[in-house]
Amino acid sequence: MNIHTYEKLWLAAAMVLIVGFIATITYGSVGVGVAMIDDSEATLDPNDLGEDERFAEPRVEHVGDNEYEAYVVARQFIFQPNPIEVPAGSTVTFYVTSADVIHSFSIVGTNANTMVIPGEVATMTVEIDEPGEYGILCNEYCGAGHHDMEGLLIVHPEDEFDLEGEE
Amino acid sequence: MSAYVDQFPAEARIVRAAFWSSFIALGVGGLLGLVQVLHRTDVVRFMSGADYYTVLTLHGVLLAITFTIFFLVGIFTWAITTSLDRGLENLRFTWLWYGLMSVGTVLAAIPILAGFVGSVDMSASVLFTFYAPMQAHPLFYLGLTIFVVGTWLAGADWFRTWLVWKREHPDERIPLPTFMVLTTMLFWYLSSLGVALSILLFLLPWSLGIWEQVNALLTRTLFWYFGHAVVYFWLMPAYMMWYLMLPKISGGKLFSDPLARVVFVLFLILSTPTGIHHQYLDPGIAEGFKFIVMTNTFFLLLPSLLTAFTVVASMEHGARQRGGTGYFGWLKALPWRDPIFTGMALAGLMFAAAGFSGMINAGMNINYLVHNTFWVVGHFHLTVGTAVALTFMAASYWFIPQVTGKRLWNKSVALWQVLLWFVGMTFMSNAMHRAGLLGVPRRTAEPQYAGFEFEAGLGSVAELDAQIALGGTLLFVSVVLFLANVVMTAVGDRIDDLPDNEYADTLSGADDAPLVLDNLKLWTAIAVVLVILAYTLPLLSIIDRGGVFGPGGGAFPMVAESLRLVVVAAVDAGVIG
Amino acid sequence: MTELEREIGHDEYDPIGTLALIAVYSAILVVMWLFMYFVEFLGNDLTVVGVIG
Ligand code: HEM
Ligand SMILES: [Cu+2]
Ligand SMILES: [Cu+2]
Repeated sequence: MNIHTYEKLWLAAAMVLIVGFIATITYGSVGVGVAMIDDSEATLDPNDLGEDERFAEPRVEHVGDNEYEAYVVARQFIFQPNPIEVPAGSTVTFYVTSADVIHSFSIVGTNANTMVIPGEVATMTVEIDEPGEYGILCNEYCGAGHHDMEGLLIVHPEDEFDLEGEE
Repeated sequence: MSAYVDQFPAEARIVRAAFWSSFIALGVGGLLGLVQVLHRTDVVRFMSGADYYTVLTLHGVLLAITFTIFFLVGIFTWAITTSLDRGLENLRFTWLWYGLMSVGTVLAAIPILAGFVGSVDMSASVLFTFYAPMQAHPLFYLGLTIFVVGTWLAGADWFRTWLVWKREHPDERIPLPTFMVLTTMLFWYLSSLGVALSILLFLLPWSLGIWEQVNALLTRTLFWYFGHAVVYFWLMPAYMMWYLMLPKISGGKLFSDPLARVVFVLFLILSTPTGIHHQYLDPGIAEGFKFIVMTNTFFLLLPSLLTAFTVVASMEHGARQRGGTGYFGWLKALPWRDPIFTGMALAGLMFAAAGFSGMINAGMNINYLVHNTFWVVGHFHLTVGTAVALTFMAASYWFIPQVTGKRLWNKSVALWQVLLWFVGMTFMSNAMHRAGLLGVPRRTAEPQYAGFEFEAGLGSVAELDAQIALGGTLLFVSVVLFLANVVMTAVGDRIDDLPDNEYADTLSGADDAPLVLDNLKLWTAIAVVLVILAYTLPLLSIIDRGGVFGPGGGAFPMVAESLRLVVVAAVDAGVIG
Repeated sequence: MTELEREIGHDEYDPIGTLALIAVYSAILVVMWLFMYFVEFLGNDLTVVGVIG
């Protein structure tokens, strides 16, 4: 088989491109520390969310210095809790599960975006620096009211934030 | 030499039937596409948000499944018979698979359409991905299965024809068009097995009430096992047209037959073990699996990048034979007034743009930015919606005369039609990509929210909406012009000075290709091994975590949703009021 | 179907125009890739990071 020199050149360039793309992504994972949604949480029965200590009462919890955990339930066609309130300058881990069909939990205009699959718990840790408000939406079709499924993430200035039930 | 319809009149009939089935789907699907852009952008809304999803289900199924696959079984039949220079073995069998595909389509369409009728307790507004635990009416799953079985039999028909030919020509190379059909069908068998298993083992029995629950992640993974490879099932026929038709229309020859074979072999072995790249953001799948799949996916760029070179070099060969010169000046020597050429060339150009957005989609972590946003819709309207669809339409301007024996009704309408598609898609797809970057979701009837707004850095959401609505309208006009042209051609008079039924010659021919390339058994075996390597662990892990039937949860039939909502709203109002 | 001005055989044909086009294409790809990754993606808010603690 004779391959024209130019095509060999292109083949080599294409390999460089491909390796370069993979290298960029690897840099993002290893260098920047971008983590993927993974399988770190055990499965659970979506019909029994009421018995799960995290999801029976969807809420935000203060778990460490500047660390918060948000237990979020997505269901046709709402997110609970809503709004989700956290202070600026914090690290927040979202645990998101579904009570019925597949949804997504996507914080609008940001990289925080995950599928929400019944039986699975998606975990997503983000650092939130500035106060402000973000929309939350579901970007996976989940039934007739899918387009009404929205929520809000309110980031309070650090000194104005009080979590209910905390001193 | 003569036209196809004179060489193979009986096969021409089946190809015609397949084309018409395909075109009906294109017409209806295109109209629904227009309805969608107008509804989403709030330019014209005449139905409820709930009905939008029924429309979208139909648009997805009709265009991604019916339009594409009916068209490709037509050209595959042409490719086999033309390149082996023999008819199909048994036309009764041929009509059987065509019949199964048609019956399957109708059966799947019935429950989808019933979704519009509130009083009928039947629906399938589950979109073409039908993710459980959303549940469609059993007829929907049954129809899809019958359709897929039809395509399997079509493949058997072509393999059989080839085997008979091989007995008579033991020492000949597989002709390139046949080679393309056979490799494509091999990975189609391999990949459609996943969706068949998902439907037959889980979804269909579950919709019939035999199983109480299914594993949402498992059925979703089985869907994507098939769902990525299916894009190559659409794309390979388009590539085939670019390899076999474009060089000839450009006035040249195919640059390299051996490399074309290499490309199809690469698709056979690599197209299936990549499906998990649609699940980068799924919980329940380890990051490591996602990384492996990303590597496979990026290497799958290789055959497409090679195709770009080989096809463009073949066009350049034509242009230079026609007197073209210079580094870029040769482009002017190409037959831009020929709608067949221009349609395919523009389709290829848009595919190059799609290559870019596809690379972004394929990047494991950058996927956070675009996953399930309108960006993705912009991407695949460049791939299946243009690289494939526009190539098919342009190819039709050659095929319809070949299989009907009639002259193309109007060549300049055809030229305008392909140009209009290009312009319309430029508007629609570009704006969809940009909207996606703002976070505008796909598959959403009314992406206007009460509590927040999308923030556009450049321009505004209103400007993007306007471009999407304009682009979608131009595309719809283009579909209408296309259909008018093929229908007017079909009702015209028979002529007998049609061009011969031929495809491109090669500069570097089959004798240049190592014999091992034609060893289909070897490549199939490698493909199977790669699939096993890529999928065993993820599937076992999903089953290990959640069980074969999942950790629990019910079924959520998408039955008469609009009606249910109205009832719920009425009750609410009554209770409160 | 088309009038050819000359016949170019396998050995006398160098697809230099293709090489040029494809070089331009790769350059665009690389620039857009870098822009999308480092500006649009990594420059965006709320990037998901590894679980802490
Ligand atoms: C008249 C031309 C077309 C228009 C105006 C159009 C418009 C649209 C729009 C607006 C959507 C997105 C809806 C949403 O996510 O909410 C969509 C989805 C889609 N379109 Fe098209 N489209 C056209 C042609 C095509 C063609 C030719 C194909 C394929 C051959 C195609 C395949 C699809 C698929 C597969 C989906 C995704 C469905 C889903 O998300 O379930 N479209 N189309
Ligand atoms: Cu939703
Ligand atoms: Cu894919």
